[in-house]
Amino acid sequence: MSAVRITGGKVLDPANGEVGVERDVFIQDGRIAASGAVGEGVTETIDAKGGVVMAGAIDIHTHIAGGKSNIARLLMVEEQRAIREPAGPFCACGGGLSTMTAHATGCRYVEMGYTAAFEPAVVGANARHMHYEMGDIPFLDTGGYLVLGNDDFLLDLIASGAGQQAVNDYVAWMLAATKCMAIKIVNPGGINAFKFNARRLDLDEANPHYEITPRKILTTLIRAVTELGLAHPIHLHGCNLGVPGNEQTTLDTIAATEGLPLHMTHVQFHSYGTEGDRKFSSGAAKIAEAVNKNPNISIDVGQIMFGQTVTASADLMSQHRNRGIATPKRWIGMDIEMDAACGIVPFEYKDKSFVNALQWAIGLELFLLVEDPWRIFLTTDHPNGAPFTTYPHLLRLLMDKPFRDEQFAKLPKSARKHSILNELKREYTLEEIAIVTRAAPAKILGLTDRGHLGAGAAGDVVIYRDDPDREAMFSKAEYVLKDGRVVVKDGEIVDVVYGRTHSVAPDYDKSMDAKLDRWFDQAIGFKAKTFKMRDHEIRDGQGTVVHATKRSA
Amino acid sequence: MTDVSSGGVTHHDVVCPFCGLGCDDVSLTVRGNAVEAGEGACGRAAALFRRSADPAPSARVMGREVALDEALAAAAELVSAARSPVYGGLGTDVDGVRALIKLASKTGGSVDHYASTGLFRNLSTSQRKGWIATTLAEVRNHCDLLVVIGPDPSEAFHRLYNRITPPTGRFIKGKRKVVFLGGAPSDEARAQLEGVEIQTIAVPEGELLDALSRLQGLLSDAPAVPGGPDLAALAEGLKGAHYGVLAWSAGMLGGDGDLIVERASIIVDILNVDTRAACLPLAGRDNLIGANQAFLWNIGFPLRTAFRGGQADHDQLLNSTEEALKSGDLLIWTSAFRPEQPPAFEGQLVAFAHPDTIFEREPEVFVPVGQPGLDHRGLAFRTDTVVSIPLGHYRDAGLPSIAMVAKGLRERLS
Repeated sequence: MSAVRITGGKVLDPANGEVGVERDVFIQDGRIAASGAVGEGVTETIDAKGGVVMAGAIDIHTHIAGGKSNIARLLMVEEQRAIREPAGPFCACGGGLSTMTAHATGCRYVEMGYTAAFEPAVVGANARHMHYEMGDIPFLDTGGYLVLGNDDFLLDLIASGAGQQAVNDYVAWMLAATKCMAIKIVNPGGINAFKFNARRLDLDEANPHYEITPRKILTTLIRAVTELGLAHPIHLHGCNLGVPGNEQTTLDTIAATEGLPLHMTHVQFHSYGTEGDRKFSSGAAKIAEAVNKNPNISIDVGQIMFGQTVTASADLMSQHRNRGIATPKRWIGMDIEMDAACGIVPFEYKDKSFVNALQWAIGLELFLLVEDPWRIFLTTDHPNGAPFTTYPHLLRLLMDKPFRDEQFAKLPKSARKHSILNELKREYTLEEIAIVTRAAPAKILGLTDRGHLGAGAAGDVVIYRDDPDREAMFSKAEYVLKDGRVVVKDGEIVDVVYGRTHSVAPDYDKSMDAKLDRWFDQAIGFKAKTFKMRDHEIRDGQGTVVHATKRSA
Repeated sequence: MTDVSSGGVTHHDVVCPFCGLGCDDVSLTVRGNAVEAGEGACGRAAALFRRSADPAPSARVMGREVALDEALAAAAELVSAARSPVYGGLGTDVDGVRALIKLASKTGGSVDHYASTGLFRNLSTSQRKGWIATTLAEVRNHCDLLVVIGPDPSEAFHRLYNRITPPTGRFIKGKRKVVFLGGAPSDEARAQLEGVEIQTIAVPEGELLDALSRLQGLLSDAPAVPGGPDLAALAEGLKGAHYGVLAWSAGMLGGDGDLIVERASIIVDILNVDTRAACLPLAGRDNLIGANQAFLWNIGFPLRTAFRGGQADHDQLLNSTEEALKSGDLLIWTSAFRPEQPPAFEGQLVAFAHPDTIFEREPEVFVPVGQPGLDHRGLAFRTDTVVSIPLGHYRDAGLPSIAMVAKGLRERLS
């Protein structure tokens, strides 16, 4: 038995209504314990005086693994050569920044106080790779969101009128087979349409082969996850990513939900108007207003930061459109296995560019205009907007108006003219930061024992020095405990531990087995039972942590 | 699914790990140590799965039979004393590769897979310029015109056309067509392509790159590149196809293979402006692709990476096994899928290898290892780099995995 006592820190635990309460936090056998329950058994005491104590942070949308990450590493070989993991007792010879390798990813996240990160684009055909790779990322609990909505089996089910029940059974079958925890849709129907040579697909435009619209795919899958009772709503990368004027598509998409829960991801890339002489303007105010009015909607931002990165997406339709702006001039696309696709385009965001500068401002406008911190999440869509290592800088931008104004003033006048950013006075409080990085992500993912410090929660605890320079404060945690073990001390890694993988497995009508056996044999060319992952394949036989759903197995 | 009879146990739907197509309909009959592949196995897979009833050989040090422990202790001494270790072979599952990465990062040394020549011809284009590629099931259902560039890849990927170009595909209207440009289908390939229109376009020896340049010219309205054969009809066919695919096995292309790959990828780029097309680069014997993938996510570089002083660096010329052996003093050879002979080398040899491996000379240390997909479970990647296949465990012959042996060796190093 081990018990840790953290004394004297200010506890920020919004999920339990605690805002800066000075109290001791106890962790016993890897879990948070009530103060009275530990008694004399404390084996380690950590002095947190002058510090802020929070639960481990959770990233709900970060591309940390899988085939597209490997393609990005391959394409960005200069970055890999330039940025290597510093040698040391816990070095694993990896490298990269926007293309960070598995071990480095875990290290850089945990130093900032993150103890969980979720991969938002698991293509079914690539799920096994994804899980093996995530298993090599230390410190973090992980899980994947399965990409559906362009898979031929599903589109055929919808187009042939097989009915909602059949769709629900298929979604449940796929979740079980791929050991994922939520459903992501990327450009509903659009990736599939590109395989039939369509170049754009609006919300109400029919797929050239299946003759169903993105709206139909979206509403059918929203209903499926609602009826299966998944904690996380549909995680949507909408139509028309990056296209000026896509603010209307985003507003129409919000309206299409008819009040059912929907999470819209990297909304910055979907908040563009066509005003001004360059026909590119901020739609943030309109989008934020719609989010504020519709409590069923949550968003993450996908903030961009200036510098070299690489964009990696399942949305080959959009990435093919973007290929001309690749910097350096190389890119890779793949159509994938009747499932989806991927497109990897290196890109450098430049502060001197009107479009990039405005993208930066649009992201911050969204952060500041969406009122409810429980429905907006801190992301850069790593690495698409910027590497996740820029989070501390982003936190300072949100918490420190003078600093934000200083950065804003550096942008080209043409871009500043189109943004209301310097009129926005809001500064995020520490409590709001604890919500957007901890409490709210745990809540929207249904991780009831994470993102808070109540008794029984996972022993993932972070202590930050309360530094007025919030960028410095959030760059290196003073202490990070993972499942009750000290893994970071004074911003340095002192021990290596591994997290768990989270999944859901709602029940399905077993007649779906025979249908998918036939589909795999005929269309895919290998067996459904080969496709299905087994528990022994997850983290050397540990299996996943299976979360309850309304329709449980 | 398994059947038990007095003659042994027959396992059905076994996943085959060898060529990179990942067929999963092989049956294996296991009687004690003996293994015989039945239905589903191509000729090459049947030969590679076959095992006699003989007990597995012992580990050896300088030809003397020893226990595994002693062999690992001897290997640890050699590795510790080596100035410049070379890790070659790398025919192992993903866990084996992970364990070898950890070992090599501790001991230093270069790492390469024995069948990586084709992979690097492909990477010279994909890494520098990029391409639009596709996977087996996309070809199977979308591809109405497949152009096979150079020698018929089914020499290495035996059941290729069964898998990717059956006569019917979900979205194919009319008859599917396969054009062999600068190569010809084997009799077996022709049998697999029954019901598919086949065309063969002969290209004089050494002129495949010129032929592709001519095809590119025809597609981009550039000035005509003189010479034969006439490819105007092929160009029109690709422009008119709904989903044209250019496939090749880079390992079978000649010395200008990297340029041929680049040219093919440019043709696909041009086609995608108005219609759809994709590349299908084939390479992937003995989990070559999985080894490369595990390198990318753990180290950030492809294979042919060397570890020195706790840092990794990639150089596809200097770190090839062939080059590395010129300055290396110890070869650590790992080959679990087949009895692949290590390259000739005058330095010392530690082999964690298939029990049937025939060595030109006795290695200093030999540890016979089990095959992923027969002796232990494992993960391998398909040639298309996206799909990875779970390999099963079907017999207990007392052979350790490469992952176990590499870990055991690492633990013995101070």
